Amino acid sequence: MSWQVFSGTFEQGLMYAIMVLGVYLTFRVLDYADLTVDGSFTLGAAIAARLIFAGQNPWLASGLAFVGGLVAGAFTGLLHTKFKITPLLSGILTMTALYSVNLRIMGRPNIPLLRMRTIFTDFGKLPFMDQYGVLVLSLISVLILGHLLYLFMETEIGVALRATGDNEMMIRSQGVNTDLMKILGLSISNGLVAFSGSYVAQNNQFADASMGIGMIIAGLASVIIGEVLVGTSSVRRTILAVIVGAIVYRVIIALVLQLGLAATDLKLVTAIIVIIALTTPDIKKKIDPRSGTRDKKGVTHA
Amino acid sequence: MLRVQNILKTFNKGTVNEKLAIKGITLNLAAGDFVTVIGSNGAGKSTLLNSVAGDFPVDNGEIYIGDRKITGWPQYRRASLVSRVFQDPMRGTASSMTIEENMVMALRRGQSCRLRRAISAKERVYFREELAKLSLGLENRLTNKVSLLSGGQRQALTLLMATIQKPQLLLLDEHTAALDPKTAEKVLDLTCRVAAENNLTTLMITHNLDHALSVGNRTIMMHEGQIILDLREGERENMTINHLLEMFEKASGSHIHNDRMILA
Repeated sequence: MSWQVFSGTFEQGLMYAIMVLGVYLTFRVLDYADLTVDGSFTLGAAIAARLIFAGQNPWLASGLAFVGGLVAGAFTGLLHTKFKITPLLSGILTMTALYSVNLRIMGRPNIPLLRMRTIFTDFGKLPFMDQYGVLVLSLISVLILGHLLYLFMETEIGVALRATGDNEMMIRSQGVNTDLMKILGLSISNGLVAFSGSYVAQNNQFADASMGIGMIIAGLASVIIGEVLVGTSSVRRTILAVIVGAIVYRVIIALVLQLGLAATDLKLVTAIIVIIALTTPDIKKKIDPRSGTRDKKGVTHA
Repeated sequence: MLRVQNILKTFNKGTVNEKLAIKGITLNLAAGDFVTVIGSNGAGKSTLLNSVAGDFPVDNGEIYIGDRKITGWPQYRRASLVSRVFQDPMRGTASSMTIEENMVMALRRGQSCRLRRAISAKERVYFREELAKLSLGLENRLTNKVSLLSGGQRQALTLLMATIQKPQLLLLDEHTAALDPKTAEKVLDLTCRVAAENNLTTLMITHNLDHALSVGNRTIMMHEGQIILDLREGERENMTINHLLEMFEKASGSHIHNDRMILA
């Protein structure tokens, strides 16, 4: 792998890591398989691209992409908590609806951003950043967001959110409105996903209505890879694991491409990675909370 | 302290599985009362506790704690007044989280969560002191995940969590039933001590008739959704397990066919 390919892969990994932080928040922390991700990733890209194409400030555009994700996640949360629709279906409904919404926002299936002003071109104008601007900005963004997420997890709301995913009945009996926690978690998660989408669109210099397809599986693969490689002994470590997982996942994808597989085979490769990870018994213990220590040490109902 | 007035609860209303779980129960607990609840399976003991805790709305009747009418309150709102320990040690704690995180959730029971650091250094010291009282060695394991604890340790922790912020009412649903006899005794001792120290109003379901008579100051027996026996201090002291069984048979007009009650 040439240096250029490697640094490009690394940059991609860092940008997608923002999305994976979001997937971790729902999939691991809330124990909620949220398929909204496929739609909200594109939503972020669509919002950013449309605004940038119209000549708006790219930083503002990225921020609004985050807000768009927040709304999408909250919508899924409302469907699930207020209308009692199952988690999977709630996510699919929002994802499907978002496909049309995204096309509406963009006004056409894709928007090119060639030679437009983006956060990366802005950042590249800073001293010493002409060559590594993308890498440095992505790295700073991931580190800041990862750290903020960690700080959030240690707050009272963060602790209540984690408990909602772990033992909903218990935390409800401690007086926490778990519906609100789920909506909040889904909202932040999709905000991060959409924010990541806006980065990817600006880096790739285009937004496409189908760019989010399979994003949830890529996210899951990254979370699982990271957890196996780095471990999950504490919240801080798990967040680090998730970021590392996102980068390693991109490296694996790049290697597969180098081996001569077509780019169109990537989704298959990703699905296979997830299948292998989920079916390998000793890895499984690490990743599936229900097969871990909880049940083995559990006391059965009398 | 707790006033339950003529409450009624039917499950699966309008279906073939319709079950009238509680048939108009009225129960008054004075502050500091420790009431044990016995009765065969399906007598409505847990339904009574769950109605008070707010797991589901009751069909009829009112529930008051102090002078507050809580009949229509959602469960999370009642949490500021009521705390609960279940039979299953897994239910009362979040296993993937640390001991101190679990304790801080209990400490904030009934308060709204805020966006500030959950555990302060001062609280950590306080948790350590409280855990030391359990004499289970948990005071040095604050940052251990709860999944590493044994069932008995978890149940002791749950009990501590239920009382760390003094509730108006403590509900115990066979909270020692899933533990081995020695651990069960230990947790029960702890229960009595904590309840006495804080003068807690307590409602405890048990299948152990010995415990039912020895623990607390009052015993009620339930059968088919009704209270069929209510023993206060004087009567209770002269009561034996055999006599209690006899009274059950007389009152309910049927024989006890619950091994757990007889063998306990």
